[in-house]
Amino acid sequence: MTTYTVYKEQLPGLFEKWSESYALYVPAKLREGFYDLVPWKRDLEIAWDFDVAYNSPKRFLFPPREALITFNRKTCEAEPVFEAPPQILFGVHPYDVKAINQLDQLLETGSPDQNYVRRRAATVVMGYEPLTVSPTAFWASVGAASAAHGYDLYWTKIGPAAFTVEVGSARGEELLSMCGPLVPSTAGDKEGARRAKARVLFKARHNGLRYNWEETPRLLSKSWDSPLWRRYSQMCLACGSCNLVCPTCYCFDIREEADDQLEEGVRYREWDGCMLESFAKVAGNHNFRPKAQDRYRHRYFRKGKYIYDKIGELGCVGCGRCVRACTAGIANPLKVFNELWEETAHEH
Amino acid sequence: MNTKPFSPYVPRPVTLVEKTKLSDFVTRFTFEQDNGRPLAHKPGQFVNVSMYGIGEAPFSISSPPRRTQNTFEIAVRKIGAVTSALHELKPGAKVGIRGPYGSSFPVMKFVGKDILIVAGGLGYIPLRSLLFYQLRHRDEFNRMVLMVGTREPKERIFVDEIADLAKSGDVEVLETVDMPDETWKGNVGVITTLLPKAELDPANTYVAMVGPPIMYRFVIAECRKKGIASDQIFVSLERKMKCGLGKCGHCQINELNACIDGPVFCYTDIEAYQEAI
Amino acid sequence: MAKPKIAFFDFAGCEGDQLQIANLEERLLDILGHVEVVSFREVATGHSDDYDVAFVEGSITRPEDEIRLKEIRKNAKVLVALGACAAIGGINCLKNFLAENVYREEVYGGQARWFSTYAARPLKSVVKVDAEIPGCPIDPTEFARITKELLLGRSPWIPDFPVCVECKQAGNVCRYEMGRMCLGIITRAGCKAACVSQGAHCWGCRGLVPGANLDAARIVMDRPGTSRKAIQDLLRFFLGDTGAAL
Ligand SMILES: Cc1cc2nc3c(=O)[nH]c(=O)nc-3n(C[C@H](O)[C@H](O)[C@H](O)COP(=O)(O)OP(=O)(O)OC[C@H]3O[C@@H](n4cnc5c(N)ncnc54)[C@H](O)[C@@H]3O)c2cc1C
Ligand code: SF4
Ligand code: SF4
Ligand code: SF4
Ligand code: SF4
Ligand code: FES
Repeated sequence: MTTYTVYKEQLPGLFEKWSESYALYVPAKLREGFYDLVPWKRDLEIAWDFDVAYNSPKRFLFPPREALITFNRKTCEAEPVFEAPPQILFGVHPYDVKAINQLDQLLETGSPDQNYVRRRAATVVMGYEPLTVSPTAFWASVGAASAAHGYDLYWTKIGPAAFTVEVGSARGEELLSMCGPLVPSTAGDKEGARRAKARVLFKARHNGLRYNWEETPRLLSKSWDSPLWRRYSQMCLACGSCNLVCPTCYCFDIREEADDQLEEGVRYREWDGCMLESFAKVAGNHNFRPKAQDRYRHRYFRKGKYIYDKIGELGCVGCGRCVRACTAGIANPLKVFNELWEETAHEH
Repeated sequence: MNTKPFSPYVPRPVTLVEKTKLSDFVTRFTFEQDNGRPLAHKPGQFVNVSMYGIGEAPFSISSPPRRTQNTFEIAVRKIGAVTSALHELKPGAKVGIRGPYGSSFPVMKFVGKDILIVAGGLGYIPLRSLLFYQLRHRDEFNRMVLMVGTREPKERIFVDEIADLAKSGDVEVLETVDMPDETWKGNVGVITTLLPKAELDPANTYVAMVGPPIMYRFVIAECRKKGIASDQIFVSLERKMKCGLGKCGHCQINELNACIDGPVFCYTDIEAYQEAI
Repeated sequence: MAKPKIAFFDFAGCEGDQLQIANLEERLLDILGHVEVVSFREVATGHSDDYDVAFVEGSITRPEDEIRLKEIRKNAKVLVALGACAAIGGINCLKNFLAENVYREEVYGGQARWFSTYAARPLKSVVKVDAEIPGCPIDPTEFARITKELLLGRSPWIPDFPVCVECKQAGNVCRYEMGRMCLGIITRAGCKAACVSQGAHCWGCRGLVPGANLDAARIVMDRPGTSRKAIQDLLRFFLGDTGAAL
């Protein structure tokens, strides 16, 4: 695909143009000192060196609460509800692009989730090469340092005021050319992008799996009865934070509410999580995962094996969000997988 | 109708045509699809029933597939929000349904074979669909044995129907209750105690069983002891379900989704999964 | 069909919850259009009033409250505890940690001797409560939803997971990541993490989430820079009637 070189001074014009027909989100520093994708406005300072967006991009494609249908209680007719605002996510790190690709695969296969499909189609993903690495991240060691696809444009900062922009789709290219003709990147610029990637990969070496990530499913198959699950899960608050912040988690509950006339109503879905105590509990109070360790283990199996068995990638892209979000300090795929590796070391 | 954009979350209306009390807490509901079409389900599949304003819940389809009729049956135990609301319905009322969803019993495999149907408690509800399908094509199958186990006599459901089956001679019926009362004259004991009573030909017998989680472990062990191979055993596993589409994650059994990979599983396919049985 | 009759009563509390309901304004007219409000506040003892749903506010702080509450229970088909005081004892339970003469002085001043009062407690420690709308104050939209569920004959649903879930849905920065304390980890959700979203932290006003891991929570809260006393005070603020407060 083509790569163009774009200069910082071109950005305000592009952003201005894009925001005419899209909701545009860009990385910025929050009051609390963390970074996140926030609505763009003129003069907003873009945090080019953000290490990780506090909230994962899934909320743009799979909002925390989303109406699925409206219904009429009398006729029992129901209508689908679709909401798919055109939006541009500018500044999505490659591990988050990979997470989006996973959601695409899992939600669009089988019986495609039309609500997701439509939102996804209306969303432009502009990938961005990170300059820094969050202290809890380990994406480089789980095969998530680069995304081969899933973006419309991929931006790499190659100097104080210049970017290479790799085109991932015709839609991306069109958006990029909205403010005049494009300049293809020189070999030197492309080399600059390569070096930028190499630099961040070097920085990402602080944290990593002690083994090849593709061993994880096999490692887990041997670890069902590990004492680790109980040891860590004793501290679990069943708060679901690790699920909800994860860019690849997409479990949901379905609930509904009638309107105040009790005639019509809305059925909606809301983010849920397998770490919550009642996630697998059925009427009559039978719980299919009654113990904290059952739920804790399930999450790691889902991240390290079940998703892999379906799509050949880990369900964890190593963003490190859960590590930070867990107040109990036990949600940490890197640590858990490494410890299981040590535990079973004599078998390798 | 057809102009509506498609979404798998949109139910379609059905109308209640008949309601029959089966026990203190269980009622059979016969619905008619408003679109006039047969439900086109396979034995073992389920539908998600919407009580609008209350919620949605999965129920096994209890009637056999009907090619020419737009009616189908479910039988529901009153236990929570949706099930209680269902019990308040009167004939003529409408509800929404999605489905049929999920896997089914592989009836083609059973052709020419003996079949053992093991129903624990409410397990008879989905098995009834299989049973009556087979009875309709009775000559395609060899011997048919039905085992029914209930906790207490007053919890028995489809009592007359099962008695008629026993009389018909098409099916050998064996029944037991765990805790008898003074009215009960039949077998006493858990359902496994019925197994030795039927002389089974292990090489030629397929087993279809539905019941509470605890029942599976014992009945499967008994069947295996008798020499029935794992791939001749079929079970239906109930889990919490929300979407029915393999998306919401609630029904997971290790990496399987009970709603699309199941509810009916061949025992061979789940033997290795710790969360299955 | 006859409209269901509903009644409101209050015990020790600030009546803030009825205010929240009034704040529903025009929505309230729609919802109350489906019912007949037969009583506000006063229960007529002796003759058997009947109402389908009794919303009861406030906690039980005197022996004579018990008699009145039992009367209400007898007359009501469904009894709903409205607000933190009724559902979990709420702030009134703070006094349970003070010596009796101290809180009596504080509450009744010079007349302290004239009033009988005992450890404050939630309704459920006196009678069977069918549903709770917790919170201090209650969330009016939750009141609306639960009232509608009751009208539809559904047993009301309230979240059985911690505030953190709604806090993450809201995209807030976690107070613990800012070196602060927060009770969201053990508190029942349903308020959409209101306090955190407004920049504060969770005080636990909706009561403990079922199965709250209190041992773990104490370890989590016990961080450098936080005193045991501060933890204790926070846990006593709303959760005085639970095992959380030591
Ligand atoms: C494949 C399948 C087939 C079933 N077939 C039957 C049947 O033929 N007859 C029958 O009486 N029951 C059947 N059940 C169980 C039935 O779905 C539950 O009893 C019902 O969901 C309870 O709903 P409720 O709203 O009354 O209970 P509540 O406790 O109020 O449940 C609220 C919600 O939780 C979920 N939920 C709770 N329990 C279950 C459960 N056991 N399974 C799945 N989701 C649950 C549902 O989404 C439900 O709407 C079946 C379940 C499954 C999974
Ligand atoms: S499991 Fe944790 S580290 Fe892995 S992708 Fe999810 S939030 Fe990120
Ligand atoms: S974030 Fe930590 S405490 Fe909360 S559910 Fe996950 S592992 Fe448990
Ligand atoms: S701020 Fe409080 S409620 Fe929010 S995630 Fe953190 S602990 Fe939970
Ligand atoms: S955040 Fe906590 S204190 Fe605030 S309203 Fe919610 S439950 Fe109550
Ligand atoms: S019910 Fe949602 S995944 Fe099976």
